[in-house]
Amino acid sequence: MAALKEKRTCGQRCEDFGRFVWNSDDGTLMGRTPEKWVYISLYYVAFYVVMTSLFCLAIWTLMYTLDPYTPDYQDRLKSPGVMVWPDTYGEEAVEIFYNTSDKASGMKMANILNEFLKPYNDTQQLESNNYNCTKGKYFIQNTFSAPHHTKWSCPFTQSMLGACSGFEDPTFGYNCSMPCVIIKMNRIINFLPTNHSDLPAYVNCTVLDGQENVAKIEYFPDRGIMDPSYFPYYGKLAQPTYVNPLVAVRFSLVGEKKAKIQCRVVSHKISYENFHDPYEGKVIFSLKAMK
Amino acid sequence: MNLAICLLLQDDHEITIEELETRYNTSVTKGLTSTFASQVLERDGPNELKPPKGTPEYVKFARQLAGGLQCLMWVAAVICFIAFGIEVARGNVTAFDNLYLAITLISVVVVTGCFGYYQEFKSTNIIASFKNLVPQQAIVIRDGQKNQINAHQLVVGDLVEIKGGDRVPADIRIISGQACKVDNSSLTGESEPQSKTPECTHENPLETKNIAFFSTTCLEGVATGVIINTGDRTIIGRIASLASGVGNEKTPIAIEIEHFVDIIAGLAIFFGFTFFVVAMFIGYAFLEAMIFFMAIVVAYVPEGLLATVTVCLSLTAKRLARKNCVVKNLEAVETLGSTSVICSDKTGTLTQNRMTVAHLWFDNHVHAADTTEDQSGQSFDQSSETWRSLARVASLCNRATFRPDQEGVPIPKRLVVGDASETALLKFTELTVGNIMDYRNRFKKVVEVPFNSTNKFQLSIHELEDPLDLRYLLVMKGAPERILERCSTILIKGQELPLDEQWSEAFQTAYMDLGGLGERVLGFCHIYLNEKEFPRGYAFDPDEMNFTTSGLCFAGLISMIDPPRATVPDAVMKCRTAGIRVVMVTGDHPITARAIAANVGIISEGSETVEDIAQRKRIPVEQVNKRDARACVISGGQLKDMSSEELDDALRNHPEMVFARTSPQQKLIIVESCQRLGSIVAVTGDGVNDSPALKKADIGVAMGIAGSDAAKNAADMILLDDNFASIVTGVEQGRLIFDNLKKSIAYTLTKNIPELTPYLIYITVSVPLPLGCITILFIELATDIFPSVSLAYEKAESDIMHLKPRNPRQHRLVNEALAVYSYFQIGRCSFAGFTDYFTAMAQEGWYPLLCVGLRSQWENVHLQDVQDSYGQEWTFSQRLYQEYTCYTVFFVSIEICQISDVLIRKTRRLSVFQQGFFRSVKTHPKHASLGIMYLNSTQLVQWWFVPVPYGILIFVYDEIRKLGVRRYPGSWWDQELYY
Repeated sequence: MAALKEKRTCGQRCEDFGRFVWNSDDGTLMGRTPEKWVYISLYYVAFYVVMTSLFCLAIWTLMYTLDPYTPDYQDRLKSPGVMVWPDTYGEEAVEIFYNTSDKASGMKMANILNEFLKPYNDTQQLESNNYNCTKGKYFIQNTFSAPHHTKWSCPFTQSMLGACSGFEDPTFGYNCSMPCVIIKMNRIINFLPTNHSDLPAYVNCTVLDGQENVAKIEYFPDRGIMDPSYFPYYGKLAQPTYVNPLVAVRFSLVGEKKAKIQCRVVSHKISYENFHDPYEGKVIFSLKAMK
Repeated sequence: MNLAICLLLQDDHEITIEELETRYNTSVTKGLTSTFASQVLERDGPNELKPPKGTPEYVKFARQLAGGLQCLMWVAAVICFIAFGIEVARGNVTAFDNLYLAITLISVVVVTGCFGYYQEFKSTNIIASFKNLVPQQAIVIRDGQKNQINAHQLVVGDLVEIKGGDRVPADIRIISGQACKVDNSSLTGESEPQSKTPECTHENPLETKNIAFFSTTCLEGVATGVIINTGDRTIIGRIASLASGVGNEKTPIAIEIEHFVDIIAGLAIFFGFTFFVVAMFIGYAFLEAMIFFMAIVVAYVPEGLLATVTVCLSLTAKRLARKNCVVKNLEAVETLGSTSVICSDKTGTLTQNRMTVAHLWFDNHVHAADTTEDQSGQSFDQSSETWRSLARVASLCNRATFRPDQEGVPIPKRLVVGDASETALLKFTELTVGNIMDYRNRFKKVVEVPFNSTNKFQLSIHELEDPLDLRYLLVMKGAPERILERCSTILIKGQELPLDEQWSEAFQTAYMDLGGLGERVLGFCHIYLNEKEFPRGYAFDPDEMNFTTSGLCFAGLISMIDPPRATVPDAVMKCRTAGIRVVMVTGDHPITARAIAANVGIISEGSETVEDIAQRKRIPVEQVNKRDARACVISGGQLKDMSSEELDDALRNHPEMVFARTSPQQKLIIVESCQRLGSIVAVTGDGVNDSPALKKADIGVAMGIAGSDAAKNAADMILLDDNFASIVTGVEQGRLIFDNLKKSIAYTLTKNIPELTPYLIYITVSVPLPLGCITILFIELATDIFPSVSLAYEKAESDIMHLKPRNPRQHRLVNEALAVYSYFQIGRCSFAGFTDYFTAMAQEGWYPLLCVGLRSQWENVHLQDVQDSYGQEWTFSQRLYQEYTCYTVFFVSIEICQISDVLIRKTRRLSVFQQGFFRSVKTHPKHASLGIMYLNSTQLVQWWFVPVPYGILIFVYDEIRKLGVRRYPGSWWDQELYY
């Protein structure tokens, strides 16, 4: 006991440690002879090789059992998220602030939209999704009738956004007080936004703050409707060229030219009041045009 | 010893009475005046021992917060705060995990601190309840008047009277006394009563006969004396304060935990640093890498372990309390288990602490009396006529009497006024003859001569029972050789035979035999006085002894001993098989000590001392090889002349040691010597004089009944029944808890790796975080506490009392094998966690390969349309909930593996099938805790089954390991894989 009670100085501790690292008396290195080190290392190598192979086997089995077209569970995606472009963030929320007198700030917004709309380029869409869909009806496909064992995707072209397509006004209204924003609803496999295709989901924007500053809200396509023919989505493998239907919204700002806006995809199947997810079924953003 | 020095400075016992009167301004006839006495009381304070300066309550509490593990957790909490500070400074206001973690760490420390403090408080209360609440009274003469006052109001110079049965109220210089004898055992450990007379017989106040000491008991006689010391200035007060000078030593378990903390801290920093470097290499910013480093260090802290250890120890303490051991300090429980030497008192601990008649010799035969505590033993043949005579002498020639009103009390337990041997004889005759008081009345006592040290006998003369028989009966008892001198005949089978050479020799043999047993032998004889010479009304003069005192008839011998407790021989045997040395340290005579030692097995049968060997081989003592002698009896006198090396040598060479006639200081020396030899020493004691040794010992064990408050204060453990056998129970429990703590710790450590690897993978491979910090805390502090505590209930794997005590330098609580096995082998249940994690991710749409490198997108709050492997788009919150699902499945996996783990940890060597699966019922809270896991998602059930094969694998693997360890002890496998 007495020996245990001794207060060891730092020097002694270091010395002890030194002896632990290399003990010349028994020829041990860190408590083991080199020979034993080899054995124990081999044991551990073998141990971990076995463990890793078991792990790999488990992952392989997992991958083998997965359905490549639809995930096994979609419980986290009961209702699709909605997002607005230009997706410029302020401190926490989306803030689409631009300066009408500063060309660069308007250009920035326009570039974001152009970049976002690239896959919707008319020529590209007609090339990849050259299929004539029946509008106004859900496009249910039970067979893989498209080439390469895929399913057809309906084309959604930039030009469908009318005044906000960027064709007429390459600045998307960011040089004046009539900016365009684009609303996109996230895609979920086999999700139908409404029960009946004659009542399609549509985007509705409301001004939460500064109603007096918004003179007019215009939707492209008409009434902000997301055509049912884009639904349901069959997944990346079945529809490699699928594009989400978009809705562009043009606001005419007056007065102080700022407003807080909520754009919601209206459908009884899409919830928008999830406290934990502010982007579920709706998106809220601030819009401000400065001089 | 500075005690001796300060005593020598005092000469109160050497000066004359007159000088004493002037010194203390008193008078040996009238005492102090009341006014002066009250002045002195004002000056010196009351005459009581100040309770040793108790540690202030807040210090006790603070101590609970400053153990090895606690410090580790404090450091971790500080690191968390720093990490939180860095995060906030960098503008990441959402990172509250670190703050929560810090708060949790601190609350764990505080809560367990409160728990430990409460435990300590409770046992302190049990001890406090023993304190004698009845104030002691003393008879004091003040202003020439006798008064009875509270003893604590006595002052120096007071004239006091003491009589048989009183406790001496202070240190007293005896002025006058008659046949006054005191029992100094609480001071010096000597059980022989010391006579006190007014003469100064020795310059050392401890040896002189004219000073009676505070707290000793006056056994008989009366005395008057002047108080020379009161309160803490008394000898006993000084010894008590000496004990507080002996520092508190660290308990073995505290050392073990420190060692363990060293390991943990070392590993944590090693891992943290490695991954810091890795993170820097991968290209993280310095601050980010720093946060990783801190997080890893903190993740290594086993938050639940502190609670586990505290709970395990207090459970054992509770179990021990039920078996009459109260543990004052939780850590002492384990200390007892590692004990390798027990220095035991004799009187009261090994023995019953009451003289009892053990043997009788009459009719030329030695008869054994019943010495058991409950009179359950065999009695001897009482039909002989000689026995009747002997019993009559023993009953009549006895001044001891029972205290009144004890009809309901069993005879051995009754209180008696009288010295030890007379008490023994009284109880013995009461048991065999019956109703002695009445018997004595029938033989009216005419005269008596009390025992004195010059003639060494006691006699009394009685009228006979039969009123017609006018002879007087003289009965006598005393030192056998003196009695024999006065006898001319001997009773054999009721016949008076002449005491010739042959009978003398028989007597000598019997006397030697009984004396050799360490027993106190008394001889008994009687004579019917000649009716003519001593007619009725004859004036017997006890001083002149004008009557026949020779030519008596020898009746027999009765020998007495303080017999060992019934349970002690077994307990000593258990200690022996458990590799624990029992060393007897007593103030008694060497022969008695040796006899008792042999009786209880401290000196085993066939063991010889150096002297025995010398006698057997007929060679001088010096020629005997000391190593041949297993046993050794050393008296205090011999010990005084020995250097500490010699003492160490003796302890090393002789496994069976008895120290007799030792002083309290020598007890301390013996303890120190044992500790020098590397033993963990338990010391038992009851007297104030034992308190320094109790304090010095690794574990001091005080006696609950006989123990003084000072001893109880100095001790770590208290035996409520004063029984040595309880110590053995304590040792067994202590060993069990060491084994079980090992299992608990192994269990607790195991999950450290599966808790850490997710973070490491998160850093290096950038997958979404598989296991969150709050989940880890939940595992540590909620679900895993119960199973790890349940391991404390595990019964012993083998007969732990057949193993040697652990060597504190070799058998560590947490050794390398345990840490490595837990971390790197059973810790592989991280594989289970990852399998389950990837399963959950993949089934929700995120393939493993996609997960790799996904972190930056996944955690980007501004990305609301991150695509999974199926092309579906996820908002940030949806991803976050998916991450929570991952936490849950990882958590479930760890839990499933931990179920396996708790099953395998039940044993370290035996197969679980040999031990029994559900022997410890407390394992079940584990399953209850599984219910909690169901909280997050109803879809989880199928993911519970993913880790099950891993759980089974762990179980099977460990069974194989145990099989190897059992089959090939000492092999490479055993060395590397047995912890």
